[in-house]
Amino acid sequence: MVKLKEIPRTSTFAWSPSASEPLLVTGTVAGAIDEDFSSTTQLELWDLSLLDHSPESFQLNPKVSIDTDARFYDIAWGGASSSNPQGFIAGALESGSLQVWKPEDILKGNSSPVEKSEKHSAAIKAIDFNPIQSHLLASGGSKGEVFIWDINKFASPFAPGTQSSRHDEIETVAWNNNVAHIMATGGNTGFTSVWDLKNKREVLHLYYNPGNTGNSQRSAVSSVVWHPNNSTKLMTASIDDANPVILLWDLRNANAPEKILRGHEKGVLSLDWCKQDSGLLLSGGKDNRTLLWNPESGEQLGEYPIAVNWNFKTKFNPKVPDILASASFDGKITVQTLQDVGAVDKPETKQKSGSPDDFWNPSSYVDTLHPTFALKQAPKWLARPVSTAFGFGGKIVSVKTTGDEKKTSTVIISKFVEDESLSE
Amino acid sequence: MVSIGNAHNDLIHDAVLDYYGKRLATCSSDKTIKIFEIDGETQRLIDTLRGHDGPVWQVSWAHPKFGVILASASYDGKAFIWREDNGQWSNIAQHAVHQASVNSVSWAPQEYGALLLCASSDGKVSIVEFKDDGKPDSISFPAHAVGVNAASWAPPSVSGSIIQTGAGATINAATDGNGSSTTSTAQETRRFASGGCDNLVKIWKFDSSVGSYVEEVALEGHTDWVRDVAWSPSVLSKSYIASASQDKTVIIWTQEGSGPWKKNLLKSDKFPDVVWRVSWSLSGNILAVSGGDNKVTLWKENLNGEWESAGVIDE
Repeated sequence: MVKLKEIPRTSTFAWSPSASEPLLVTGTVAGAIDEDFSSTTQLELWDLSLLDHSPESFQLNPKVSIDTDARFYDIAWGGASSSNPQGFIAGALESGSLQVWKPEDILKGNSSPVEKSEKHSAAIKAIDFNPIQSHLLASGGSKGEVFIWDINKFASPFAPGTQSSRHDEIETVAWNNNVAHIMATGGNTGFTSVWDLKNKREVLHLYYNPGNTGNSQRSAVSSVVWHPNNSTKLMTASIDDANPVILLWDLRNANAPEKILRGHEKGVLSLDWCKQDSGLLLSGGKDNRTLLWNPESGEQLGEYPIAVNWNFKTKFNPKVPDILASASFDGKITVQTLQDVGAVDKPETKQKSGSPDDFWNPSSYVDTLHPTFALKQAPKWLARPVSTAFGFGGKIVSVKTTGDEKKTSTVIISKFVEDESLSE
Repeated sequence: MVSIGNAHNDLIHDAVLDYYGKRLATCSSDKTIKIFEIDGETQRLIDTLRGHDGPVWQVSWAHPKFGVILASASYDGKAFIWREDNGQWSNIAQHAVHQASVNSVSWAPQEYGALLLCASSDGKVSIVEFKDDGKPDSISFPAHAVGVNAASWAPPSVSGSIIQTGAGATINAATDGNGSSTTSTAQETRRFASGGCDNLVKIWKFDSSVGSYVEEVALEGHTDWVRDVAWSPSVLSKSYIASASQDKTVIIWTQEGSGPWKKNLLKSDKFPDVVWRVSWSLSGNILAVSGGDNKVTLWKENLNGEWESAGVIDE
């Protein structure tokens, strides 16, 4: 967790879909106000200038800013295609307006969206581009409203099915990463609904009852994320301070969660499941913390430097998950690296063993000021599964993966005789 | 053919023969490096080198004139230098300037001295020089904005030294870039290629006036991460670089004299899977390509400048 850059905004954000030059788009977030009580709401593009390591380049300046009609609950950047490689930026506005911009228009300072709809009758809380059919966009918001939009036929959005009585405020929408017509929504009633757009209905709902917590309130679902490769697995986060859990579900048995990740001290606000390595999940919460998990083993892998206010959104860069960004209500979006070998030695001081009385002493609690990271698990994208190298005398050494699960390797030394290649 | 199975407790990421083809070094996610003695069709494990705190991604043998020396690159952010003395392996140096995984290590051609090139996920490249007094001297600099996956040295300008005895000495001077009349030595023409998560291949050249390497050119062609780069050791007048990518293609970049780099796809259609590794034969005329489909294919350039298959490595 080397802090690379800082964006001085209390904003929600989205990463650009391209890797060659990572950009962030930010939108002034709903539910917050800055020090000077400014009523300006803006959509801004930021060039991370990651090659510039000078101290003065740490805090970024926007590449371009345009004014918008209202504050943002969510923002998404997707819909890229060969004819439109930059894709679209979609904003979920507090006013209930869904607006779509082209990044190239914004760069020219043109603030008018290419599409705009007032179909939602109240605030839109969440939006998501379909990862398979990139022209589709899902939105969810207040009054249980959920709509599916086709960028090419923007004027006629449709609902994924009959409106579910299980929803009141939709807080999150997420498309399945492997089956294009499946999506999930979650909200304040504590239910997570799985929708099948082909059959235009809700096919399943998930509900977790934590049992005797003495808390009669249902704990709202703040975030739903699907497994990157396994179409029946998803994770949900609970915003409930009394029970701030992250749940792993397998839809093949939706009665109870398969795994429960405990670690946040207050409600969890956001999740991101790494597309390139299903063994990595980020979470952020009302305890101001950003945690990294292995959702498959349930193990907490590390913690990033703590913010001074709620951390409401944390996302891996979609192309280069070695970097991630976290937004908090303390006026900052921090861009940092997933790993930092220098941080490994630091967390030694965190838990002093002592008399049992120390249990009541808050200082004996985990010292969250220091990032902890144990290098326990190398990200999958670094692990080269095969190799080849020439040696003296036409020898070639090759490494191949073997075994059913491709978990073992075989090394083969063979000899290349040039003449043989002439005879077909 | 020699086949070694289950040598490590986890995936093996690299295996390289030494200069004489007598020793094989392998490295693995089990955090160890193993040294095998190869004799004809038989192999014998000599030693297991422990010390890294994470998976070991790559190993590189130094030229034997420096001794029996191996470098290793690890997820723990360090490159280690190992030496064998009288059959005993020991860790003789640790290079710890990077803040993230070191993904590749490669020793320079011996003409340049004991120089080790490292590429890291922290976006930087570093070069450690082991001087005659044994003290390491390192420089590092940002190379690719979002992580460097591989780096490969250019061969010493042998073509230049041949030309210097003949009529073309001016060609060598022209590769200096600034056209100055300084005598080119191997020291001054040190170049290498790097490949990164920004989909670029970059060419770097040592600039003695700043005492570091400067970017000569950034080559655009890949549409996803560059996983490996290999600069051909060929002593022809043309320079060849092969780059392998997550986009399932291999590009051959060529440069004549100090002209522009030209790109050619190794084959017009894509490989079946991610291409992880490219390696040139010692003469530089055959390229081995290793893909995620577990296949190693061989390629050579025909007289028309097109690349054609030169075989497949069988199981």
